Amino acid sequence: MSKKVKFTEQAAELAHLINVQQNPDRNHENEEQKQDLLVSRLRSGDRAAAAELVDSYYQQIYLYMRRLGHNHQASEDLTQEIFLQTWNRIGQLQDGKALKSWLYRIAGNASRLYWRRNKGKKAISIEGFDVPVSSTANSDKSEDEEQLEKLEEAIARLPMKMRQAVVLHYLQNLTIVEAAEAAGVRKGTFKSRLSRALKVLREDII
Amino acid sequence: MEKEKLEKLLNKLSERMTESVRPGLTEDVKRQIPQQLRAHRMGMNTIRIMIDLRVSRLAAAAVIIITIILGANFFGPKGSTGGDIVEAIEYSLARENIGRSDMLTNMAVIYEGLLKEGKDIVYYGDSTNRGDGFTMLMHWKLPNGKYRVIFSDLRITTVSPDMLIMLQAQMLQDKTKK
Repeated sequence: MSKKVKFTEQAAELAHLINVQQNPDRNHENEEQKQDLLVSRLRSGDRAAAAELVDSYYQQIYLYMRRLGHNHQASEDLTQEIFLQTWNRIGQLQDGKALKSWLYRIAGNASRLYWRRNKGKKAISIEGFDVPVSSTANSDKSEDEEQLEKLEEAIARLPMKMRQAVVLHYLQNLTIVEAAEAAGVRKGTFKSRLSRALKVLREDII
Repeated sequence: MEKEKLEKLLNKLSERMTESVRPGLTEDVKRQIPQQLRAHRMGMNTIRIMIDLRVSRLAAAAVIIITIILGANFFGPKGSTGGDIVEAIEYSLARENIGRSDMLTNMAVIYEGLLKEGKDIVYYGDSTNRGDGFTMLMHWKLPNGKYRVIFSDLRITTVSPDMLIMLQAQMLQDKTKK
C-alpha cells in the first residue's frame, strides 16, 4: 500500500517537473499567483507568511549585500535591518508582482545609508568570497579564472550606482524591469546605466 | 573585450561570488517578526510621504494641523463663532513653533474653511501689507454684532463696528498714500 502511495507521489512529482519544463509561461504565472497570495497574506498580518518571505529571500538579500561590498558582519546586520524595515513598511506593499523588487529596493536603500553612515571607511570590504578550494589551490590558474578575478576587482572599483546595476542584473539575476524597479529608476535609465558600467568594465579588464 | 564575452564572464561570476550563509541567520531574522504585523500606519506614512516630497517639516506640520482643524470643523457641530479655528491656530503657533510665514501662506485655506462654515467673512488677500499690526487680513461678524479680526501680524481680536470702520478707513488711507 505504502509502495503504491510512494509511486503515486513520485509520478505526480515527475508530471509536475515535465509540466514545468514544457510550460515555462504557466510556471511563471503560478509563481506570480504565489507572490500575490504571499503579499495578501502579509498585508493581512499573517506571521507565517512573514516567515515564508524570510525563507525565500534571506540568502538572496545577504548575498546582495556581500556583492555590493559589505563584509560578513555588516551583511548579516543589514539583512536583519532590511527585514525589520520590511515589517514596518508592509502597508506600502501593493502589487504582488513587485514584491521582489520592492524588497531589493529596501535593501539598496539600507546599503546606501550604511555607506553614508560609515563615510571615510573603505568602500569595499577586504573580506573576499569563500571561493572553492579547488579553484584557488591550483597554481596554474586558467585564463578564465584570472579574468574572473580581475572582473571581481573591477566591479568593486565601479561607482556605487553602476555597481548596483551590474550586481542586480548579472549577479542577482533580476530582469531589467525588476532591477530598474529595485534601483528606483526608469527602465531606460537603468539600461543606460548598465551599458555605461559594461563599457567601463570592458575597458578596465582588457 | 567583447560584450558577449564580458556577459558570459559576469554570468560565471555569480557562481564565484557566492558563499553559504550562517545557518542561524534565518532564525535571527524570524525572531524579529513582530507579533502583530500592521498593514497600515497612516500617520507615519503621511509624514514620510511629505518628507519624500521635500516639503519642509514645519510646513508639513502646519498643513497637517490646519487640515485636522478644518476637517474637525467641517464635520463638527455648526453654529460656532468661528473663533475655534483661530484659537486652534493661535495655540498651534505658540505650541508647535510653526513659522508665521508658513501660517500666512495657508491663510487662504483658513479663509475657505471659515467660508464653508457659513461665516460672513471678508478676506483682504495677498494685497495687504504683511507684518503691519494695523492691517487686517480678514474679519467676520459675531452673533453679538461685534467683529472678529485677524491682523497681518496674526494678532486676533474682537472689535466694535465703529472700530472696524476706523481700521478700514486707515487701510484705505494707507493704500491711497501709496
